[in-house]
Amino acid sequence: MEKNNNRLGWLFASPYLIFSTVFFLGPLIWSLYLSFTNWDLISPTYDFVGFKNFIKALGTPGVRSAFWVTYKFMIVFVPIVTAMSLFVAVIVKGLPKFKSVFLIGFFLPYLSSGVVASLIVKGFLSHTSPVQTFLRDRLGLDIDWLGGSFSALFVVAMIMAWKFTGYYALILTSGLESIDQEVYEAAAIDGVKDSQRFWKITLPLVYPAIYTTLILSFGATFGIFTEVYQLTGGGPNYATNTWQMEIYSQAFKNLQAGYASAIAIMAAVATFVSIYVIRKILEMWGKRNGWV
Amino acid sequence: MKKKLSVMLALTLVFTILAGCGSKSSNTGTSADGVTTIEFWAAPNPTQQAYWQRIAKEYETVNPKVKINVSAIKESPTSEASIQAAIAGGSAPTMTENISRGFAAQLANSKALVPLDTIDGFNDIVTKRNMTKTIEPWEFADGHQYVLPIYSNAMLFGWRTDILKEAGVNEVPRTYSEVLDATKKLKAKYPDKYLWAKPDLADPTSWKRWFDFFMLYNAASDGNKFIEGSNFVGDEKAGVDVLTFVDNLRKEKGLLSQNVTEPFENGVGVFTDVGPWTFSTWAEKYPELQYKKNFEVTLPPVPDGMDPANAKTFADAKGIVIYASASPEQQAAAIEFIKWVYSDDKNDVAFFQETNLPPARDDVGTNEVFKPVFEKTPVLQEYAKAIPNAVPSMDNPKFNELQTFIGQEAFNKIVRGEIDPKTGWDNMKKAIEGELQ
Repeated sequence: MEKNNNRLGWLFASPYLIFSTVFFLGPLIWSLYLSFTNWDLISPTYDFVGFKNFIKALGTPGVRSAFWVTYKFMIVFVPIVTAMSLFVAVIVKGLPKFKSVFLIGFFLPYLSSGVVASLIVKGFLSHTSPVQTFLRDRLGLDIDWLGGSFSALFVVAMIMAWKFTGYYALILTSGLESIDQEVYEAAAIDGVKDSQRFWKITLPLVYPAIYTTLILSFGATFGIFTEVYQLTGGGPNYATNTWQMEIYSQAFKNLQAGYASAIAIMAAVATFVSIYVIRKILEMWGKRNGWV
Repeated sequence: MKKKLSVMLALTLVFTILAGCGSKSSNTGTSADGVTTIEFWAAPNPTQQAYWQRIAKEYETVNPKVKINVSAIKESPTSEASIQAAIAGGSAPTMTENISRGFAAQLANSKALVPLDTIDGFNDIVTKRNMTKTIEPWEFADGHQYVLPIYSNAMLFGWRTDILKEAGVNEVPRTYSEVLDATKKLKAKYPDKYLWAKPDLADPTSWKRWFDFFMLYNAASDGNKFIEGSNFVGDEKAGVDVLTFVDNLRKEKGLLSQNVTEPFENGVGVFTDVGPWTFSTWAEKYPELQYKKNFEVTLPPVPDGMDPANAKTFADAKGIVIYASASPEQQAAAIEFIKWVYSDDKNDVAFFQETNLPPARDDVGTNEVFKPVFEKTPVLQEYAKAIPNAVPSMDNPKFNELQTFIGQEAFNKIVRGEIDPKTGWDNMKKAIEGELQ
């Protein structure tokens, strides 16, 4: 009986296992192998170069910037998207009806094309756009949004935040909905003031949902590409050069597939280590406050 | 037995999927009735695509044994990346146009191209089309010709003479001092206008340097090669002069590198690089822009003391290549097609007429057959005259990295005022030399 169950289990799991082998494990092993070669993507021959690609990558400004830019994006993007999604979730939860309609509205940017959003923003920030003309003529502000290191990073982070707010708000709303109303009533009887309700009751109880959105948002910063590619190309002066942008540039602009694979491996290591550390910090924070 | 069957079934499934993913066609491109099919990717420019579609149809009527499928190269994200992806994915076409010398060097280095001079009949094309001199600088370091250049644009700078006149500048400036003087007058009259308004000035994308840095550098250095083989041979004085000129324009608030829509056409800027392909767009979209009436084109401005009348400039030249992955039948059919196209001057005249791109021939400025084209669009004469002054791009396979360094280390930073010209040149030189090692 147990043997039959095992067989049935393997049978049901086999589509996923085959899919993962063909589309994840296979490419991963191939990429690892390529990272030790000098393959240029189109040449029929290539040589084994050992750790040369990794050593070269460590010394280039492109890879160094990709490493730091990710954390800079985190500092700007994560607080903004967390605050915005929490705000949306609290507002939507308080609505008397049509909650799901509003949530779908906020969720739509997540489904929209990053290319289209970036192009719209690009037009919006054009020197001759009505917004820029207004800022220049009425307020005397001539801002080169995509030309300044911080402003370019901020613009990309804001597009990302706009895109992800609705998605994270969905998770947070479900967290808020799971809080029993009786908890608030009991707290009120115990003398908890309205101003303390969020910090003393809502936040601790919604912490598992916040934890999920934080991990997702930290993770999202490692995958930024479309917005950066469309708006800044990684510039100015590497200020928005993300891991994905650097991998793309090396593989498809400079035709260095082997070298790009080495950067991709480094990006994967940086991502896993960073997410692991962030998870541990969040768990410690939750435990210290008695939220988990 | 059942276990063996299950294992075999699973393995068959995996290998079927893998085979489906990785199978390569063994198609030679020739059908049972002897018709060879060629895939020809034309430049992503409507006029060029229309020209090649028409020519292909004409060729099919005189040679029914060849079928030519003409389609535009996909520009997503760039035409170069589309070609690379096609080669990597085993679906490269038989031939493409729109190939620069630098990109051809990359492809040739990866053994993706057919050395055209090894194919019978190639020399006949060169002789028949009168392009012996034009094709000379296209020879690669290994002594082969991988590209048949089809057009050569000697890039020129356009000036909005109407706005300059309003600002009190009656002659088009030709030297650095004259340009700076014109900038001062322009800003005094119109503080919101710029001499050179172009977001590309601050963009490190490699090919963008052809239309700013190299145009000015070729003029300032009298056509210095910049990179020769694997050596950096840049003229430091000329390079620093160019960067200082750009820095001075910035100090006079004459540069705008923010995103802005068609600044020259809309009068936000009064100076910009202009290729001959622009004029058909202007004729449709900006008919008010009339040559000699409100705009002029000139060779690039030069440092004081140099002769502006004979300034060198960048040659935006592109050509046709044949891919090594094509079958021998397709390669032979492709070269026969090219031979047929260039055996008759009328095809080059039509190309010039329809695309405004000067054919890559030694006699484009002197051959009477091109007279009607110049009569119809007089500004093209300036481009034809400038062909001898035009320097083609480098043929180094690392052109992409090398030209990116020019922007990242020097030009873009100067435009933003982040670095001084000498430091910019030194940093760029160091980065380029490091990459060339």
